[in-house]
Amino acid sequence: MTASSKASRSSRRRWKSLEAREARLAWFLVLPTALIVFGLVLFPAIFSVWISFRDVGLNNLNDVFNAPFVGLQNYRNVLKDFAFKFQGLRSMGAAVNSVVYSLSATILTIVIGLIASLLLNRPFRGRGVTRAIFLFPYVAPIVSVAFVWRWILDPRPSGVLNDVLLKLGAIESPKAYLATRGLALVLVIVFEAWRYFPFAMLMILARLQAVDKTLYEAADVDGANAWHKFWYVTIPELRYVLGSVFLLRLIWTFNKFDDIFLLTGGGFGTNVLPVLTYQFSFKAFNFSKGAANAMILLAILVVFLVAYVGVFMRNAED
Amino acid sequence: MTGNSSPRASSDDNLNLIEHLARWITWPRFVFSLIMMFFLTSILFPFYWMASSSFKTYAEIGAREPVYIPGALRWEAYKELFDYWKFGANILNSMKVAIPTSIIAVILSTLGAYAVARLRFRGKEVLLNGILLVYLFPGILLIIPLFAMVAQIGARLGFEVQDNLPVLVVTYLAQTLPVALYMLANYFRTIPKEIEQAGLIDGCSRLSVIWRITLPLAIPALVSVSIYTFMIAWNEFLYALVFLNRRELFTMPIKISTIHNDPDPRPHVVMAASTIMTLPVVILFLAMERFLTEGLTAGGVKG
Repeated sequence: MTASSKASRSSRRRWKSLEAREARLAWFLVLPTALIVFGLVLFPAIFSVWISFRDVGLNNLNDVFNAPFVGLQNYRNVLKDFAFKFQGLRSMGAAVNSVVYSLSATILTIVIGLIASLLLNRPFRGRGVTRAIFLFPYVAPIVSVAFVWRWILDPRPSGVLNDVLLKLGAIESPKAYLATRGLALVLVIVFEAWRYFPFAMLMILARLQAVDKTLYEAADVDGANAWHKFWYVTIPELRYVLGSVFLLRLIWTFNKFDDIFLLTGGGFGTNVLPVLTYQFSFKAFNFSKGAANAMILLAILVVFLVAYVGVFMRNAED
Repeated sequence: MTGNSSPRASSDDNLNLIEHLARWITWPRFVFSLIMMFFLTSILFPFYWMASSSFKTYAEIGAREPVYIPGALRWEAYKELFDYWKFGANILNSMKVAIPTSIIAVILSTLGAYAVARLRFRGKEVLLNGILLVYLFPGILLIIPLFAMVAQIGARLGFEVQDNLPVLVVTYLAQTLPVALYMLANYFRTIPKEIEQAGLIDGCSRLSVIWRITLPLAIPALVSVSIYTFMIAWNEFLYALVFLNRRELFTMPIKISTIHNDPDPRPHVVMAASTIMTLPVVILFLAMERFLTEGLTAGGVKG
């Protein structure tokens, strides 16, 4: 009996040391990734808060740690800035623009992604190739597609859209689409949907193919038409995937810099917070004002996330 | 009966074709084809416009009306791109950034993902949630402190931060590792544990189990992670824009943007450069489409 208990204890000790060895190995394996990710993302994020309360410009960039403390001055400067604040519908400022742009672009992306996924959900010849083609806008480099679209929307009569609309008689004279307030914002939203609908499509398609076929058979027995089946069977089944795609795309669109920077440079009523942050930091070289602007961006995002999770959770409980 | 039927059969065939078509085109099919045409045109036209414009001459570009089909396959734009703009160096720079990013990301995320998927250790949940937070932070928020921080480190250790391609590689790693880790961890979880346990019982160490058993089984996932990270580094714009100042070190996206901003607009050259940049990505993507689609949905790839 003593022998067996001793044996079990020693095996337990060995098990424990094996476990410890496994944990050590695990940390050794994750360490490089963790170091890079935390060192280059979480630490800078915290450092950015610090910078937003200091005065950092080009002159003291090499001596950041001794930059003078200025309290909330940077935040006040941002809130007062005409590029930031709302001054009526004709110049909405980057903050309101960001919200309008990311909300409408996200919704449009999901609607088009849903239509595309419904198109590809039924079998037809060439479905594989079509699905690959549908993903093109999403995988192609942003620089290439942004410049192609800029050129298609070129203000000269040699622009493709101008040419087509002139020939159709829809417009009298060529238009500068990306240099017209209002229209430019609509166009960057449409571009966003064109580029990112494949992401929504992929996610929705994966879920659509997992929907239980008997649900549709049951609906058939009940005499439902195609619209009823879509509205009462498909949409409820897609609720969660639509919710998560909405959340992800909204965050990423809100944080997006390249698309608007390359299409309009933030001009003509299309400026958004990420582009404004860039302008503050790397055009005016007021790094702390840029950091304050980025913190406001993050704050808006976090407030939205908390609200979204709150509403979503309450709905889930019902 | 047989003699009469042959001419009638041919007219029947004609009738059948129209009838066939009429019967085939039901309303749902008609709507389906219409929407499909709309999608395909709006997706493919910009790509056609990019490729075809790269073969146009300066005269065709400057014409009063757009030229939809270039007169001939002329390499004028490409010649200007390489001779005048020295685009070859930029292609090389992009490779110097994208290939190391992809290789290092695959190695590091394989190690990390294995630990996350297979080993038990304290702090795993905190670590995973922390890495997920990366999804939330905008690149523009990180670039200011990064700029200041790396400048500090650079000053201490005596290396240039600006115009330093390895610095770019490290920042791209930070952007791609989280997703790579998730994609690979998800894949590793689908490999049955018993296979590895058999290896362990046979006396292999953990590392040799990873090397000899897990990795060969995970090749599809490794391929898709490496292509995904390659594409991110190949396409990245913001960090390259901020960190690179010298023209000869520009990666392709920044160079294309420079050519685009030239006071004398040269759209055909921009399109030629864009075509060169897009082609490898699209080819890689088409070749690996199946793996990538799985990976994209599994990791919810950022972009």
